[in-house]
Amino acid sequence: MSEEPRVGVYVCHCGLNIAGVVDVKQVVEYAKTLPNVVVAKDYTFMCSAPGQQMIKDDVKAQKLNRVVVAACSPSLHEPTFRRATKEAGLNPYLMEMVNIREHCSWVHPQEKDAATEKAKDLVRMAVAKARLLEPLDTIVSKVEPCALVLGGGVAGLEAALDLAKRGAEVYLVEKAPTLGGNAARLGKLAFSNMRGVELVKTLVDAVKSNPKIRIFTNAELVGLDGSVGNFKAKIKINPRFVNEKCNLCGKCVEVCPVEVPNEYEFNLSKRKAIYLPYAEAYPPIYVIDTEKCTKCRKCIEVCKPGAINLEDKGSEIEARVGCVILAIGYTPYEPYKGEYGYGTSPNVITLFQLERLLDPTGPTKGQLLIDGKAPNAMAFIMCVGSLTTSPTANVYCSRMCCTTSLKDILEIKEQYPDTALFVLYKHMRTYGRLEERLYEKASEKGVVFVRFEEPPKVKVKRDGIELKVYDLLTQENLEIPVDMVVLAVGMNPSKELEKVRSITKVGCTPDGFVREAHLKLRPVETPSDGIFLAGTVSGPRNITESVISGSAAAAKAAVLISKEQVEVEPIIARVIEDVCSGCGTCVAQCPFGAISIKEVEGKRQASVDAMLCKGCGTCAAACPSGAMQQANFKDHQIVAQVEACFR
Amino acid sequence: MAEEPKIVVFACNWCSYAALDLAGTSRMTYPTNIRVIRVMCSGRVDPQFIIKAFKEGASGVIVAGCHPGDCHYMEGNYKALRRITFLRRMLENLGIEKERLRLEWISASEGAKVPKVVQEMVEELKKLPPLKLKVEG
Repeated sequence: MSEEPRVGVYVCHCGLNIAGVVDVKQVVEYAKTLPNVVVAKDYTFMCSAPGQQMIKDDVKAQKLNRVVVAACSPSLHEPTFRRATKEAGLNPYLMEMVNIREHCSWVHPQEKDAATEKAKDLVRMAVAKARLLEPLDTIVSKVEPCALVLGGGVAGLEAALDLAKRGAEVYLVEKAPTLGGNAARLGKLAFSNMRGVELVKTLVDAVKSNPKIRIFTNAELVGLDGSVGNFKAKIKINPRFVNEKCNLCGKCVEVCPVEVPNEYEFNLSKRKAIYLPYAEAYPPIYVIDTEKCTKCRKCIEVCKPGAINLEDKGSEIEARVGCVILAIGYTPYEPYKGEYGYGTSPNVITLFQLERLLDPTGPTKGQLLIDGKAPNAMAFIMCVGSLTTSPTANVYCSRMCCTTSLKDILEIKEQYPDTALFVLYKHMRTYGRLEERLYEKASEKGVVFVRFEEPPKVKVKRDGIELKVYDLLTQENLEIPVDMVVLAVGMNPSKELEKVRSITKVGCTPDGFVREAHLKLRPVETPSDGIFLAGTVSGPRNITESVISGSAAAAKAAVLISKEQVEVEPIIARVIEDVCSGCGTCVAQCPFGAISIKEVEGKRQASVDAMLCKGCGTCAAACPSGAMQQANFKDHQIVAQVEACFR
Repeated sequence: MAEEPKIVVFACNWCSYAALDLAGTSRMTYPTNIRVIRVMCSGRVDPQFIIKAFKEGASGVIVAGCHPGDCHYMEGNYKALRRITFLRRMLENLGIEKERLRLEWISASEGAKVPKVVQEMVEELKKLPPLKLKVEG
């Protein structure tokens, strides 16, 4: 027989966050009247060291065996108070949190009395559940010392490299036929003499020569089972149709009759159905675009090494990994047809296209010419696709477009000193240590900056392009004739993200990027243990920031996979064997195949595999006899909460 | 003064509970009528919990989970959908209006959906006659 519950209730002020709305003292006095409550106290910041100490001291002095903390969301401080409870010598699962901040004071700022009543109800419900809590032992599971890095851009490359250097085996999976991501398509980088592809090559060289890293290009994640420490990842390697025998002679490209827009040049040039994304691509092997190839077999005839196999079906492998790092990057914002004249003139281009045009290996070999002549005047329109400048634009700032544009502007000024340059901007955000210098330099060189509130109007004419804009600073309507307009587009979440999200079950923010476990404190983790974030998958970042987050994700992942075992929350389903009739209803409910029917001493009964059970509790909801119970969410515990809601 | 309707909300930990948190961190406001019970998955919600809530005096019940396809446990929300569709039909036969039980898909990013759903339901419940469930004994 278990001992009588002795409950301690601790109500947090959270400064004025809670106490500014909820009458904390009243809640404490009320809590004292609840059954089995031995002590109830309030404190300014319960999560602070003195707050936690107060709980620990009371547990010992008052012989408490249940703790209720009424404070913020358990997603924030449940681990904190579980730890404090454990340090006080109690089982950590004998602590229950009440959310009176996010679910009460913050959402009812004007209704102080009603919010206080609600807080009392919530505390009463938590006490009712706490009285019925049972100690739980954490489940320990073995950790696979391997990592899956999804995405081979700068962030993914950096993460893979850091993990491999720490001795972890890494599966590096990239959807495109080459490593490198978006950065490889950028021209000369700001504050560096390197081109994007050169920077990427530095990382790729290190990655490919590291024996710990297995590289899969043209490959994607198609399934993910298991949980932290023990994931089973299904990786589909799509057919490339060309194998390592390829010696890059290029004969296949010459004979291929299919021409399609080259996405690696942002459609500024054409490529064939058999192609190499770009000269420095890795692996250096041609690839056939399945969707575009007509299977004419001309390439096979000219391929001397016999590297082409049109029957290639690809393959699928299963990787057992301890963690997953999502580094799938972003997709550049694509203006809609007619947005600032985009798509109506070849001289209205995006910033990414300009990057290609200024790149010495790009489609124009670094030349920026219109009908063979340098443009007389050019305008940059900033914040395209960002800062809500159009119906399809994002709300956020994409962080890299201002700096990249200014870097390009200075490059153009150097190359074509006579070209007049205009920058039409909503906000100029050259944040950081070096960036503002670019803005100053551009101003010194006579670049005209025009600030708008109403987005400029772009009119494509036969002999050029006319811009109309109201200059917010001089309060004048301006008409600016130019030859070329560059739209400084920002970043959208990757177009692959939806698919990846449906497999990995990570959540997203209203902006569509993956949501971090905590914006400030856990920026490279997700709420799903063992799944980490690197680079622009969780929001716009420049290359430096992406590399930093790649390293950060690797560090967090290494903390996990360098351990031999990991503790898993023990809130799994268990069978009350005496009650179970072995009907098997639960077996069909379990999405993880964790339940089986076993025969024990001639009696059929359900049995749960603790390693496979993820603790959703859907089996418990379906069990007709109440034999299946989810620890910490047992029927009678939840029913007690429901009852306490009303009395 | 008529008593304010109380609504019991069963919110899944991963999407809807997080959305309720987001509504808070975004300082959105909504009526004080809801009392949230956290479960790991909407699939954990036994129809008996809902019946119990009505029996105890709830004017309404909301079961909130991840959007179809987004369930952290693959398909718990589909299980919830089936159970609640079935239960709603049963409740109607017992004279419990269908407006009193809502199944809502609220993703972690849809903080703004919380005030909308709560506001709507409170308004609807106030239009209904009080729920008097006969409790035996």
